[in-house]
Amino acid sequence: MLELKGVTRLYGDVVALDGLDLSVPDDTYLSLLGASGSGKTTLLRLIAGFEEPDRGEVLLNGERLDGKPTHLRDIGFVFQNFALFSHLSVAENVAFGLRYREVGRLENEAAIRERTQHALQLVGLEDFGHRGVGEISGGQRQRVALARTLVTEPRIVLLDEPLGALDANLRARMCDELKSIRERLKVSFLHVTGSETEALTMGDTVAVLAEGKIAQVDDSRSLFTQPKNPASARHLNAWNLLPGVVKGGVLHASVGKLPIGEQVADNTSVQLAVRFDDIGVCAPSDVPAGHDYFEATYVTGEFNGPTALSFFRTPDGELIQVVDHLSDPRLPHLEEGKSYALFFSPDAAVLFKGAA
Amino acid sequence: MYTNDKKSPGTPILAVNTQATSPAAAREVRDRRRAFLLLTPGVLWMLLFMLLPLGMVIYVSFWTQTTFAVKPDLTTASWEQFLSSATYLSAIGTTLRVWVIVLLATLIVGYPVALFIGLFVKNRTLQTALLVACVIPFWTSFLIRVIAWRPMLGTEGAINIILMKLGIISDPLSFLLFSEFSVIVGMTQIYCVFMVGPITFMIARIDESVIEAARDLGASFGTIFRRIVLPLSLPGVIVGTIFVSVMVLGEFATAASLSGRKVNLLGNIIVSQVGSLKWAFAAVAGVVLTVIITVVIALALRVVDLRKEM
Repeated sequence: MLELKGVTRLYGDVVALDGLDLSVPDDTYLSLLGASGSGKTTLLRLIAGFEEPDRGEVLLNGERLDGKPTHLRDIGFVFQNFALFSHLSVAENVAFGLRYREVGRLENEAAIRERTQHALQLVGLEDFGHRGVGEISGGQRQRVALARTLVTEPRIVLLDEPLGALDANLRARMCDELKSIRERLKVSFLHVTGSETEALTMGDTVAVLAEGKIAQVDDSRSLFTQPKNPASARHLNAWNLLPGVVKGGVLHASVGKLPIGEQVADNTSVQLAVRFDDIGVCAPSDVPAGHDYFEATYVTGEFNGPTALSFFRTPDGELIQVVDHLSDPRLPHLEEGKSYALFFSPDAAVLFKGAA
Repeated sequence: MYTNDKKSPGTPILAVNTQATSPAAAREVRDRRRAFLLLTPGVLWMLLFMLLPLGMVIYVSFWTQTTFAVKPDLTTASWEQFLSSATYLSAIGTTLRVWVIVLLATLIVGYPVALFIGLFVKNRTLQTALLVACVIPFWTSFLIRVIAWRPMLGTEGAINIILMKLGIISDPLSFLLFSEFSVIVGMTQIYCVFMVGPITFMIARIDESVIEAARDLGASFGTIFRRIVLPLSLPGVIVGTIFVSVMVLGEFATAASLSGRKVNLLGNIIVSQVGSLKWAFAAVAGVVLTVIITVVIALALRVVDLRKEM
């Protein structure tokens, strides 16, 4: 098990990681979701040993990692740009760790060849060993980078936005392959990404990194349906947040008064979160019974194929998004500039205490 | 006026032309014309000032040399004399020896400098500043740079004085100046920067993540240097080698001012032969030098395929 305890990393006055705690259990696919600049790459670099934390501890199976040189940590790192050795062939790239590592170096060429071939098979490149790394496609390079890391049997594999450099089709395929490879090897993967779909697809568990801390760790479905705080909700890119203050058991939000389901003390700042796909749209006079609603002006729509996104603006300028599914349309015909009632079931709303 | 039925002679040709030449083909023609235009000055220059003189040198090397004149009567006399003279053959030997030693010295001194600037200095501005600093000695004249070694290396020079003050030696070292040693020191200092530059550029081009990947795979710094940095910097070493070789093999000034006439390089022979109007003889030495340089460059280019690195 990999544990980070109170890890802090500063760059000058900028706090990249702020007393972060995280544990990655054995035999898990953990994806770490964070916006760009959230410090997620820094986190991986601290674990791998390219950088050291200013405070805190990094432990692997109880053994202290921080302070140990990178090449003695036995941790796999797959780079976003793959970082292949351009002067070596595919097979030589994969064999690099076996042949040249400081500890546990393999001297027997036959053994090196066998394990290299096995690793290439694992990623489906068994016939590409003799090629130069400049002579293969981006997806194949990604596999070489993966094979090169996996062949050394690291104790944990860190993947830094490994699919970022691939096109969409390839990304979907690599997602499946990464998962199945990991399941075969029984080693933990810590996969860092800025894409919520990638994080939700890949991870057995998803951790959200925001403001230098882990905001929430949960399985994909729980995280998506029940974010525990505004930071998590915001990173999922599927929740509208309505900030306001509670007075007399009612939320006074910028969009008007909204009832809330739980008892909250007066003058508490809260945010009410409603998922994009839990909001219905109708004329202000036609709100179905048993639903809460607020009014907003339709701005524009965005057609994405299976789903369509509609944008509304509240009177104070807040942007609200509503998702409609092509196969199961809920929304009426919308006219730009016209005001509509945006309604939702009280059960669908999640209340976060604390200011925005 | 109804003159349309009577075709003017130019019209049909023009029509055919516009039909045959598609815009793409016209563009290709324009591009090719521009390429030729760009190529012309260089080709002309090389023809007039390199190939032609080179041919002339070869030609003159077969002329008949008398005491004060050369006549265009073809003979191999100069070649025979050159190739049978111990002095000249030993000059070839000296040239090659000095070249090899200076090449190694510039590599030994230059590579660590390049490694430091290219790998350990992360700041690009500082990298550039350090490289420029390497060139500062070139802001003064070549001769001053060479002659400045005299007060350093002489029997009453700085080095001897310091060594004697420290009590390491009791008598001044005389081999320091006016010897092959001083020539090698002088040349190493002058040409080192031509080794540093290309190697630095190659090392600085290595992606930081490539080195991190090697570390992550368990390789120590020494192994990473041997297996990653060194092979990736090799094209820089070759380019540096070509620069230094071309300049050292044709050198005469450093030897003339620091060797006390004890070291005779092919370049010195050419200078003295030209000085005594022995053109045919100078031409022979020139041809020999050109052949040596050509072979050296050809060998260097075989080690690394520079086309792949461009």
